[in-house]
Amino acid sequence: MPATFTREEALVRFAAIAGDEHAQLAGDAVRVAPANTEQAAEVLRFANQHGLTVVPTGSGSKLGWGNPVAPEIFLSLARMNFVREHAWQDLTCTVQAGCTWAAMQAELARHSQMVALDPLWPDLATVGGVVATNDSGALRLRYGGLRDLIIGMTLVLADGTIAKTGGKVVKNVAGYDLHKLLTGSFGTLGVIAEVNFRLHPIEQHARTLTFAAPSAPSLAQPLRNLLHAQMALSSAQLRIAEKQCALDVRIVTRPECLEQHAAHLRSIFSPLADADASEAVWQSRQQLFSSPNAVIARVSLLPDDVCAAAAEWQQTCAAQGVEVSLVAQATGLMTIALSGPSGAIIGIIDQFRTRLRPSGGSVVLLQIPDDLRGKIDVWDCRSDALPLMREIKRRFDPHAILNPGRFVGGI
Amino acid sequence: MLPQFQLDELRAAVSSAGLISAESQLQTYECDGLTNFRVLPGAVVLPRTTEEVQAVVRVCARHKIPFVSRGAGTGLSGGALPAAGGVVISLARMNRILQVDIPNRFVIVEPGVVNAYVTQRVAPAGYFYAPDPSSQSVCTIGGNVAENSGGAHCLKYGFTVTHTLALEVVLPNGELAHFGSPALDAPGYDLAGVFVGSEGTLGVATKVTLRIVRRPEVVQTLLAAFDTPSAAGQTVSDIIAAGMLPSALEIMDTLAIEAAEAAVHAHYPMCGGLLLVELDGPCDEVDALMREVRDIAGSNGAREIRVAQSDAERALIWKGRKAAFAAMGRISPNYIVQDGVIPRTALPRVLTEIDRMSSAVHLRAANVFHAGDGNLHPLVLYDRAIPGQEEIALELSYRILNLCVDSGGSITGEHGVGKEKQQALGYMFQEPDLATMQLVRCAFDPENLSNPDKVFPRPRLCADKPGPFTPHPLEKSGVAEIF
Repeated sequence: MPATFTREEALVRFAAIAGDEHAQLAGDAVRVAPANTEQAAEVLRFANQHGLTVVPTGSGSKLGWGNPVAPEIFLSLARMNFVREHAWQDLTCTVQAGCTWAAMQAELARHSQMVALDPLWPDLATVGGVVATNDSGALRLRYGGLRDLIIGMTLVLADGTIAKTGGKVVKNVAGYDLHKLLTGSFGTLGVIAEVNFRLHPIEQHARTLTFAAPSAPSLAQPLRNLLHAQMALSSAQLRIAEKQCALDVRIVTRPECLEQHAAHLRSIFSPLADADASEAVWQSRQQLFSSPNAVIARVSLLPDDVCAAAAEWQQTCAAQGVEVSLVAQATGLMTIALSGPSGAIIGIIDQFRTRLRPSGGSVVLLQIPDDLRGKIDVWDCRSDALPLMREIKRRFDPHAILNPGRFVGGI
Repeated sequence: MLPQFQLDELRAAVSSAGLISAESQLQTYECDGLTNFRVLPGAVVLPRTTEEVQAVVRVCARHKIPFVSRGAGTGLSGGALPAAGGVVISLARMNRILQVDIPNRFVIVEPGVVNAYVTQRVAPAGYFYAPDPSSQSVCTIGGNVAENSGGAHCLKYGFTVTHTLALEVVLPNGELAHFGSPALDAPGYDLAGVFVGSEGTLGVATKVTLRIVRRPEVVQTLLAAFDTPSAAGQTVSDIIAAGMLPSALEIMDTLAIEAAEAAVHAHYPMCGGLLLVELDGPCDEVDALMREVRDIAGSNGAREIRVAQSDAERALIWKGRKAAFAAMGRISPNYIVQDGVIPRTALPRVLTEIDRMSSAVHLRAANVFHAGDGNLHPLVLYDRAIPGQEEIALELSYRILNLCVDSGGSITGEHGVGKEKQQALGYMFQEPDLATMQLVRCAFDPENLSNPDKVFPRPRLCADKPGPFTPHPLEKSGVAEIF
């Protein structure tokens, strides 16, 4: 549907909805920041009526993920940034999508609680963006992903319909879990306005130990033993940078039990030496993103394949003159940074996509330099459910105004 | 009864040994665990393979015959209730465990595999399958997936959806699709997440990839006897507030204890509120936590505290708890079990209100609940032989659900909406919420054939042109009505 409105006309309309200071021209687009869900619904209703494309955004920290979209409207959730409710005795909370992850956690920490997830750039990333991209970090091993932590959601559909799904109790099987559909949907089905989370107590007594190793394969068996051990494990990650290889393990238990668990841990990794590491090692995944020209990928593989696959990335990259750093969670989710000749990188990614295909693994590109855009599919979706995904998209957003083309299969 | 040519097509799909069409045999399938709803199906098929399921669903799609898939039929909300004259797809013969991958901690099973068999299979390697509905010795994984089943231990370990990594699904048009993967976060929408708990309305799962969990080093089970359920409830709140996450926190009131004792002689202490706490994990940690739980229970006035001293003692404690529903038959001719959820903090108020509501209509309500996650199972006791009492009991059970919603909770924590609670879903969700859910339904099943007229309060047609509130062409032309 061709746009029937100029952006100047849209600007006037949005200023009327959200206030003059919250509607601005931004390049070729209009940026509007509604104060609440109802205003967001009005913006979307207008956009839908006039076929204007919309990219919902929080801080914009992950706007480069997925296929590029040049929308007519940036719908900023930045003003919707409150923790609306913290029912600490029930271990639940309701948070607006524009609240930054760190601000939310700070609020919850007043009662020593947290959403048990450690996404990228918590000071910047907003709840809505973290959920829309289904980000997760090292805590996933113990607490699961967003699918396991989100218990309800308020969303706004492309036509302005405001819908709620789930609820404020952890155990609830009433109706379809639309929040699971929206999680990781990259803003293609609706705008996430509020999220209800289940909470966990903050890990008060934790210790991180780091075991350096000569190579990733030498860590395979100890890692296997670790995951099989009776251990109060919070996180475990394999880290490779500049040919240095290490495994970080975080245990969390009662203070009187920490020492015994640490000893058990050392026995599992014996004879590898350990060092009491700082909590900073859990920032390593985020640090991979600090080189702006690197290709950054999220690799999904079977947990028991982590060490072997990491070694293969190392060898393949070394053979082709590509520099590689990676952080792999014991869950099988690996973040990898590649720097080097474009052609070689494309070849390596293709090779690993083929390798991971039989086990259901994938390589999704999160950050790619401009010169690689269009030369390689950032997604790696060969699902036979793609026609169904397209039909879901068509039902939710018939005029394809929300993030058109950003997601898998051109959705 | 289906016309002969349709029966012939179904027979061709599953072979003659896989088709049941004699009325006397069909009666076996006329209800599930919710026995007061009964509908005779037109035929029952028992496919052995995914291809046979596809062939059956294609016959149904071609002739617009509604179908419902069925496992062991233990569901408590009428989810497997047939559509009149429709086809029941029994997955009972698809009961193989196809793959066990201990290093990657998953198994792949067919939907007819019994829940408890998964744990039996992986137990020698030191693993278990966590979701444990009370019917786990007979209920099947396919049904667990449909209902997103929980159980007593989901407080710590989560629900069926937490443990479902991937699904092979026959869509309502007979096409095959794969959702998710044993490797996490497969690119695309999380269709496995949506399918689990969709109560058979989005298709038929024919393979399920389940996460398995390392068996804890030690399990300790404690019973604490209190004068009132509220005191037991306060203990639960205090345990949670202390930052602990037990694997189970269960409360039974006097009536429930009486019934369980009569049925399985679990040697429970008689009291107003019995709290069961189970902790698991590394030995040293569990020992430390158990001491803390004892202190908390003591400070809330526990009259008696017992810790199971052996596996046999623990098994008996759980036998009493898991038999609690069926045991109601010992103290009442009939009963209705409900499945509301409330925020934990609302427990004392809601229990008092349930007491008041049941006294007002001169009925007894027993309470058995998963206290840790606020999942109540009020059991309304009545006698069908007394004219009018069943209606009063039903009315009371629905009012209890409304009370749960009003308290910020849900109408169902693990039994599903099914046939039983369709209207209650309309109380919990507003029209736009339901219309949005319907978008998913229409994407999967535009012809509304897969377990139709379940879950949602009113039958709906899927508009060709998507979007809520668009009248269906059939409706516009007066051929069909939406009521």
